[in-house]
Amino acid sequence: MNLVRKTNTYYLIFLAFLFPVMVVVDYFLIQYVVNSEVEEILLHEQERINFHLDGNGKLPSSNYLFETSTIDEAAVFTPQFKDTLLYEGYAGKYIPYRTYAFTSTVDSQPVKITLKHVLLEINELIWLLFIATSFIILLLVLGLYFINQKVYKWAWNPFFKNLAKLKKYDVTQKDPIHLKTSRINEFEELNKVITTLIDQVKKDFQNLKEFNENISHEVQTPLAIIRNKVVLLLESKNLDERELKRVEAVYQETNKLSKIGKSLTLISRIENQEFKRLDRVDVHAIIKNILNNMEEIINFRNLKVSKELHPVTIECDHILADILFTNLIKNAVQHNIDGGVIKMLLTQEKFEITNTGEVSEIATEKLFHRFQKDSPTKESLGLGLAINQKICEIYGFRLTYARNEKTHIFSLFFQSQVEKE
Amino acid sequence: MKILVIEDNAELLQDIKNFLEEEGNICEIAPNYKLAYDKIGIFPYDILIVDITLPDGNGLDIIKAVKKENIDAGIIIISAKNAVGDKIHGLEIGADDYLAKPFYLAELNARIKALYRRKVYNGSREIFFNEIKIKPDSYEVFVDDHLLNLTKKEFDIIHFFVVNRHRLLTKEAIAEHLWGDHIEMADSYKFIYTHLANLRKKIAESGGKDYIQTIYSVGYKFTDRE
Repeated sequence: MNLVRKTNTYYLIFLAFLFPVMVVVDYFLIQYVVNSEVEEILLHEQERINFHLDGNGKLPSSNYLFETSTIDEAAVFTPQFKDTLLYEGYAGKYIPYRTYAFTSTVDSQPVKITLKHVLLEINELIWLLFIATSFIILLLVLGLYFINQKVYKWAWNPFFKNLAKLKKYDVTQKDPIHLKTSRINEFEELNKVITTLIDQVKKDFQNLKEFNENISHEVQTPLAIIRNKVVLLLESKNLDERELKRVEAVYQETNKLSKIGKSLTLISRIENQEFKRLDRVDVHAIIKNILNNMEEIINFRNLKVSKELHPVTIECDHILADILFTNLIKNAVQHNIDGGVIKMLLTQEKFEITNTGEVSEIATEKLFHRFQKDSPTKESLGLGLAINQKICEIYGFRLTYARNEKTHIFSLFFQSQVEKE
Repeated sequence: MKILVIEDNAELLQDIKNFLEEEGNICEIAPNYKLAYDKIGIFPYDILIVDITLPDGNGLDIIKAVKKENIDAGIIIISAKNAVGDKIHGLEIGADDYLAKPFYLAELNARIKALYRRKVYNGSREIFFNEIKIKPDSYEVFVDDHLLNLTKKEFDIIHFFVVNRHRLLTKEAIAEHLWGDHIEMADSYKFIYTHLANLRKKIAESGGKDYIQTIYSVGYKFTDRE
């Protein structure tokens, strides 16, 4: 629910409560005002009648006179107002009246004089109020809605513009973010906070990147030296069996370190968008080439390869395309069982590679994470799929994995590329 | 052949120098840009090994200078940066090959020899090892003039062995030579083992001696020495 709708909802709820309260309050208020007006008129009339009676002792004619009756002298009577319904023949219905009774003396005879004044009809009054209030509330709702809409559009405009910018913001991009300024203090403050945060994130990212680059570059030369020295040691004839085993272990771990370094460098270089070339890459040829290179190891593992390859070209860096497909095919070979099967399908839409293999323990969603592998003893580092994932990210490809029992299926969709063309 | 190695790390420089001298080359060294520049101006070299990042300059500038002066030397770049841009740029301005650090000295040796053969003999020179003869340009191996029927990888293995004769070749170095450094292939060592067995058999069938020695579990050596 967006902000303006949320606000409007609360307004509506509030007005729904306010509506009956307004009707009731209005009703009593108007009744009170009308009554006091009527009472005032009746009191005036009483004064006029009394004045005439005091002057000539005769009852003057009056429009308000309702009835007069003689009363006992002893009776003490306080003047009082009363509401009453009287049947009016001319209207054919009961009509509400306000009456006022008081005592006076006519021809030395104490009398009770009752005056009356017509009142508004209560039903009509309620209806009138209901309609009037509804109308006012409708106006209020419409007014608030439009004002809100305008405020939303105008005052929040910088906010939404900035939000869109932040959504698109990529920390790997070098150009700084320009937030739209606003005259509203809160937004200005928010902008300041965001700018500070982004600067911080950028600095951290830069540091991390440099650290990554340095560590993977700078270790390579020492690693090369270690490796050369270890080979010299291995060639020496003076080592006994146990020492040789140790040196061998050093050698193997050094190699692993060097491979990790190279793979991580590759990942960070992909992330840094160092591969900018957009070659027309003939996927069919690449796959043929890779299969050629692996032909003997495929035969060695006694794998049956069936393939249905249509000519497809995609736009991406040639080196990355080579790495991407090599990793996929290599995976299918590596994680296969001896005498297993590899199936490949290449169409305009996707490349799909299916292979038989052991049941994998790794959760599907973790598969693309770095250093995920079936067993720690295998020579594989578990970086191949992480590299593939990165390559797919920069070209908008989609790489999915599915398995059932002992077959594993990787599908690479070129989707976004097809749409582009 | 005469080789100049331009590399700022003294230890690595010494390793390369020792290795190449053991191979019977004349090897000179230059630890910085200035010295390297002076040397190529005075002495003729067959091969230059150039590191890109030098303390007082860029190795790529040395390559440019060599090309500008029309010095006829093969150039191999060795770089820790392993950046595609560097590689492409380096090859564009006239380098012949590119090796990313850390590399195996055996690999560097194989590249130097291949480059030298291409430059000096147009690739047509045959390589001999006792009764074994290799024709690199046609991918043929002969034992006493008897042609061996080898697969592509078997040829690669024996070629790599003969070029690096009497050297310990670790399984890792062989695997990287066969598949390049982006493939970390499980089973590749088992594969190498099987192919070496086949290779031994094929050489023996043609009357050749078994020169492949297994060195513990680390690797192999192709030698006729004890």
